Amino acid sequence: MSQSDLSPIRLHRALNDIWGTPPGLGRLSSVNHTVLGRRFMVVALIFFAIGGLLSMLIRAQLATPNSAFVGPEIYNQIFTMHGTVMMFLFAIPMFEGFAIYILPKMLGARDMAFPRLTAYGFWCYLFGGSILIIAMLMGVAPNGGWFMYTPLSSRPYTPGINADVWLLGITFVEISAVTAAVELFVTILKVRAPGMSLIRMPLFAWYMLVTSGMMIVGFPPLILGSILLELERAFGLPFFDPTRGGDPLLWQHLFWLFGHPEVYIIFLPAAGALSTIIPVFAQRPILGFRAIIAAIVAMGFLSFGLWVHHMFTVGIPHLALAFFSAASALVAIPTAIQIFAWIGTLASGRPRWDIPMLYVAGFFVVFVIGGLTGVMLAMVPFNTQAHDSYFVVAHLHYVLVGGFVFPMLAAIYHWMPHISGRQSLYRLSVPAFWFIMVGFNLTFFLMHLTGLMGMPRRISTYPSNWGWDWLNLLSSVGSFILTMGFALVLADIVMQFRFGRPFRRDPWHAGTLEWAIPTPPTNYSFAALPRIDAPGDQLAPRLIGPQLAGGRGYLGFPRDGQMETLGVDMVTGEAEQLIVLPQSSFLPLWTGLATGSIFVALLFGFYWLAPLGALLTVVLFLLWTVKLGRKHDSGPVDIGMGEQAPRDVECPGNVTVLANRTAVVMDAILFSSLLFGGLFLLVVAPNWDGLAPLDLPLWLLALALMASTAGAGFSWLARRANASGLLIGSAVAQVLAVVVLAVLMAWVPEPTGHARQATMFALLAYATIHTALGALMSSYGIWRVQQGFVSTRRNTELVLAWLWNGYAAAALVPALGLVLMLALAGDGA
Amino acid sequence: MSAQERRALLLLVAGFTVWSVAFVVLYGMQALGCAFGWGDWHRPMLIGAYLLSLLPLGWLARQRPYSTGEPATTLSISALWANRAALVAGILVYFPVTFATVCI
Repeated sequence: MSQSDLSPIRLHRALNDIWGTPPGLGRLSSVNHTVLGRRFMVVALIFFAIGGLLSMLIRAQLATPNSAFVGPEIYNQIFTMHGTVMMFLFAIPMFEGFAIYILPKMLGARDMAFPRLTAYGFWCYLFGGSILIIAMLMGVAPNGGWFMYTPLSSRPYTPGINADVWLLGITFVEISAVTAAVELFVTILKVRAPGMSLIRMPLFAWYMLVTSGMMIVGFPPLILGSILLELERAFGLPFFDPTRGGDPLLWQHLFWLFGHPEVYIIFLPAAGALSTIIPVFAQRPILGFRAIIAAIVAMGFLSFGLWVHHMFTVGIPHLALAFFSAASALVAIPTAIQIFAWIGTLASGRPRWDIPMLYVAGFFVVFVIGGLTGVMLAMVPFNTQAHDSYFVVAHLHYVLVGGFVFPMLAAIYHWMPHISGRQSLYRLSVPAFWFIMVGFNLTFFLMHLTGLMGMPRRISTYPSNWGWDWLNLLSSVGSFILTMGFALVLADIVMQFRFGRPFRRDPWHAGTLEWAIPTPPTNYSFAALPRIDAPGDQLAPRLIGPQLAGGRGYLGFPRDGQMETLGVDMVTGEAEQLIVLPQSSFLPLWTGLATGSIFVALLFGFYWLAPLGALLTVVLFLLWTVKLGRKHDSGPVDIGMGEQAPRDVECPGNVTVLANRTAVVMDAILFSSLLFGGLFLLVVAPNWDGLAPLDLPLWLLALALMASTAGAGFSWLARRANASGLLIGSAVAQVLAVVVLAVLMAWVPEPTGHARQATMFALLAYATIHTALGALMSSYGIWRVQQGFVSTRRNTELVLAWLWNGYAAAALVPALGLVLMLALAGDGA
Repeated sequence: MSAQERRALLLLVAGFTVWSVAFVVLYGMQALGCAFGWGDWHRPMLIGAYLLSLLPLGWLARQRPYSTGEPATTLSISALWANRAALVAGILVYFPVTFATVCI
């Protein structure tokens, strides 16, 4: 079949049948990025409303001195949940949802690289977030602050399940961030329209590429920290207990290793949206494209060198303070480069002042104030004065609301017509903006003053004779004005869906590809994929759209009822492979529920149930693959435009391999964080003097290492010689390594007695899990070979077996090395 | 063209990757030196590591972009600026090893 055989209407119907989501309960099986992106954003906005309601309660409590509106215990839960909900359940999922919705369309693709993973991430997000909200409604919400500092969050000081709800609920939610990070990274690099080289990608894609890279590096330390703290709370492994060789500062390091880059992880997508919106309304290409790319790369790296500025007052040597202070001030420069590029674009263009631009202007004012107070806080002497005061509360809200919420509102007004197919009537938009602008500044600017006057964060009430009364009352009045503004925005959105003006295509005269598709979007997004020969944000969607709708482009035809899009060379953007995507399935939902069962079992102390949940999750993941792949080689196939490309399963550099490599990097970063934690405790933590060295059975260490290395070697040979039978040897050797490592875990004397043994136990557990994973991947390879899915050209399973087995063996060396060092601690180590 | 673009992409992240490695090494040396009492050797070792880290950063900051071949030139120029930024960040952020109190 070729693209000329079908009329546009017939092509639309044929593609719609293939890409559509079933009605009724079948909607829960959707894997479509448009549907899931919308769901992510809607759920995130619901959480935003919940977080907003909590902030109203906070301001009601603080409006007057000596308030008895809520008691201290409820207040602790409210402010903890406000921060937690806004950071983890609103900001991150909101931009994830937006990226999931818009990126494939901007890149000229029909969907993300892994649609089922998108769905699985959504369910993990929804279920994990629900655990937190249900806990709050039941009065057992987390109450130790959104950064859960130990020892306050440790068992002796938080004996209930409040902290467990945070640790388990957030880790569950973070699965969606992890899956999104991998998927966004792979999609941006590999799933684009032919001709869209890296340098032709729209700036938003560059921003999201850097953001996803930051998520890959930034989230593992938090996940590790949460696991270690939960191990301490549930089983008594004392990683953070200084009386048993742990150190509360380790938690702070792990949390802020994630927590500070997190601010930029939230800001960069918003900045990407601004870099897309501003040129549209300035009616000229963005100024300083090359400088912006250099700036976002610089921000991405520098943001990982700042985390200790959250810990300036904990007692850190001057040299370390100077490192982090300098880096904290320096990161303002790449931020400023972008702000000057945006201002320059507006100054040298012919700006149209429409509603999105109101919020862009609001962003400039609010974010620049937040940035300047950020530079103030980067200076150690000032930070010491302002630490833990309302000045910090003011600063972080100026940065986060200025750097995320204002751009988000600009983006909502810019892209809502894309989702709804209707343009806003703007009756409510202008007053809504002014309510938000005035309300926000009234609420938070005054907090700079209360902070400088000495008002500490997190206090539930205050006496009336300290001069804070009027400032707090005005802040509370401002917060209610701010809320009215958001209510008007909500009403405006509803009005737009109900009464907005329909439009044909591209109402803003934008330059990005998402406006080339019908609005509201069709299930398949593009009837045909375009050939890109110009910068991806300087295109003409109005001209391109009708051509694509007529099937004139790549893949402008249905084939075998399959969901097809194209994979490209990640640098040049030339068509490289035909990607066949999996269709709607309930499996992501079931897998999300199974994963949830692990967290619920741990939360309620049914520890024996958790492994069963984990086993069920693994089995369900394996079921995902049952219908994927092909049982015969087909060679290059027609992709339209007179070109051919092999199917993804026959392409050595397919998206599955890249995603697994990315996952290994993420895993390695988690492992590096664990190694850092072990070394940190060994070198810095108190109460390590007087420890007797342990008589570690070295032969067991050597046996585990040899077995795992043999497992990796067999898998390498299997891939190299395409001899799948060798995978049996690989699986057997790794199982032997698992058994030996399990024996070593059992050998560790009293893991709850001291952080040394606890760390040894954790390192051995990591090694055991990864050798087991190696065995699993080899066994999976054997299974796929038996099913007929593997050949000389279709060898993805062999590549993956080597990848995970190689990693397991490689990780064993530093893991066992540190175990040995820890065992020798007390003997001069 | 493809080889040029791939090199430019690597150069784009090379400078700050070196910067990050230097950050970890210097911060680690600071902590280890204090824990194990490196005494008078501590600061000279830190300064040595500081100067050593500036060598690759300086080399990367001098990698000129290609004179022809859009769009490779675009990415190369971004890479050049990113690497110069990494050099400046290295000089400024690690400079305190020359004067700040190391262990207090």
